[in-house]
Amino acid sequence: MFNNFKLSLFLASKSMMRGNKSTQLLIIFIMSLIFVNLVFIGSIFLGVTEATNKQVINSLYSNVVIEPKKDEKYISDVYSLEQKIKGVPGVVGISSQYVTGATLSYKDKHGTWIVRAINPDDEMKVTTNHNYLIAGNYLSKLDENEILLGKEIAGGYGGDLEYNSLGVKVGDSIDVLFDNGVKKSYRVKGIFDANFIQTNVMAYISRNDMESIVGLEDKASQILVKTQDNGNEDRYIKQFLEMGIKEEIKPWTVYAGMVKNITNSFDMIAMMISAIGLFVAVITIFIIVYTSTISKRKQIGILRAVGIEGSIIIQSYIFQALFIVISGIFIGLIIIFFAIKPWFIEHPLKFPIGLASLLILPEKVSANAVSLIIAALAAGFIPSWLAVRKTIIDTIWGD
Amino acid sequence: MTRDEAANESLIEIKDLSRIYTMGEVNVRALNNVTFEIKRGEFAAIMGKSGSGKSTLLHQLGLLDAPTSGEIIFSGKNISGLSESEKAKFRLSKFGYVFQEYALLPELTAIENVYLPAMALGRKKEEYLKAGTEVLGNVGLGTRLHHRPREMSGGEQQRVAIARALINRPDILFADEPTANLDSDSSKQVIELFQKLNEETGLTILMVTHEPDDIKYVSKVVWLRDGELAEM
Ligand SMILES: Nc1ncnc2c1ncn2[C@@H]1O[C@H](COP(=O)(O)OP(=O)(O)OP(=O)(O)O)[C@@H](O)[C@H]1O
Ligand SMILES: [Mg+2]
Repeated sequence: MFNNFKLSLFLASKSMMRGNKSTQLLIIFIMSLIFVNLVFIGSIFLGVTEATNKQVINSLYSNVVIEPKKDEKYISDVYSLEQKIKGVPGVVGISSQYVTGATLSYKDKHGTWIVRAINPDDEMKVTTNHNYLIAGNYLSKLDENEILLGKEIAGGYGGDLEYNSLGVKVGDSIDVLFDNGVKKSYRVKGIFDANFIQTNVMAYISRNDMESIVGLEDKASQILVKTQDNGNEDRYIKQFLEMGIKEEIKPWTVYAGMVKNITNSFDMIAMMISAIGLFVAVITIFIIVYTSTISKRKQIGILRAVGIEGSIIIQSYIFQALFIVISGIFIGLIIIFFAIKPWFIEHPLKFPIGLASLLILPEKVSANAVSLIIAALAAGFIPSWLAVRKTIIDTIWGD
Repeated sequence: MTRDEAANESLIEIKDLSRIYTMGEVNVRALNNVTFEIKRGEFAAIMGKSGSGKSTLLHQLGLLDAPTSGEIIFSGKNISGLSESEKAKFRLSKFGYVFQEYALLPELTAIENVYLPAMALGRKKEEYLKAGTEVLGNVGLGTRLHHRPREMSGGEQQRVAIARALINRPDILFADEPTANLDSDSSKQVIELFQKLNEETGLTILMVTHEPDDIKYVSKVVWLRDGELAEM
């Protein structure tokens, strides 16, 4: 057994060392491109999905969202609820907010957007939007009649929805008509660009301000809860439920339905492209091995006549196929980690969901490598098996 | 066993051997109830017209093909019922083959082509290197060990193929028109090499040929006519 292994390795290595080097390099290069392609497509889609998820968490909903009980408009006893939640280990921030629709107008322009009323100190622990101001300043707790606008509302900063924007600058005064009929003037204090279109169509005011408008106290439309880790939302939700919180508790993922759709489509596309790549790899290796078995038909027949078993010949072709693919994977890894990855870190891709880079997961890379190796095994096996399956007489003298 | 007894020992024997090729509706009776034996140490020739069944006979004896009926007995043991892999082992360790087409592996040097069957038999590296060098020396290619096939003449390549056939010290060498592709000088070299091997090492040789001149080298001729033995 071991001896057969040695013999096929001998045949394979001689055939590669003394065969046509430039052809082999070319084939290895093709394999490396196929591998790079497999990894790249998967990673770019993962990167976009990851970036979108991060945006939903960092700029819109944080990790867990607490909403009013069914049939109620507001959460009550917000303060005591906040105290309870704060006690849960791993909770790093809570932001209770009023959320309302409002019509904003400036000169002859107006539009309806979502306004979130926040405690800026709390909000800064939960979302990162305060880091993305492109003009003016962030809100502070005692601000009255000051408003923070997303760049799609303000306009003038190259937003995707400019045609709808008000066209205001920091310091301008705008009118805000809230859903409950109250109308007030606000000074634009700052403009932010979270790189996320869904966030950039929102406005923020201070919560104190809002409480006076709606005449409510110790209530909220939603409470955003930031946890120290992403991906363990269900565990936290379970803890909240066990503490007897009766409000609706949802993980951020329920607000990312759009992301889920994209992810599913990406998975489909990635699978199709991978399948095509693997198919090309199989065909390429198949042709290489097939032409070799055809041109060496007589030699193979004579070797078998001499008593060298067909399985050794098959093995030697499989070794060659493996060598090609493994070298290809190796070169592919170098290309990915020393060229493509650094390049995309330097030049992230711009999407409406923000900047996305590649997300290269080791387990995905290994899976791609394994699938390519399996493809090579099949592509090396089939033609050599076909060549060895015929009788010795046919192999040497048949046509 | 004395030398005389050894010489009289039957090495390979066939009984009532037939090989019928079926091609669609037509049956071709390539061999028809052939019975004969080859003694150890003989240098025998199989002769006959084209299509008389010479190659077919050699293939049956050499376990490259399976007869339709009949028995093949090697050193007193019936070997017609062996499995494919047993047959391969048998061919590797006990038989040597030289064909009209020498079919050397183009990427291997002369010596690598030669020691391949010895490697397959599991012999040690220094052993097969030594044996390969020696056997290539015996066929007159001691200075061509590291030449690739394309760097050698047809006659030289055929002698490499002969060395490959000899590396595992076979009991019998089968040769099917080994000189058909060679010019007369190279042919003569090959035949004289066979004669030398037969005389000096006692190697049993069974060779198909249609060169009437070859008769003078051999100790016995088996004539075939239409798949049957023909006495002459
Ligand atoms: N694979 C095959 N299928 C069908 N018929 C075959 C096959 N091989 C040989 N034959 C037939 O068997 C008969 C004997 O063929 P064989 O090759 O043994 O002749 P030969 O004596 O070696 O001839 P030559 O001197 O031309 O080599 C011929 O009639 C041939 O056509
Ligand atoms: Mg013939």
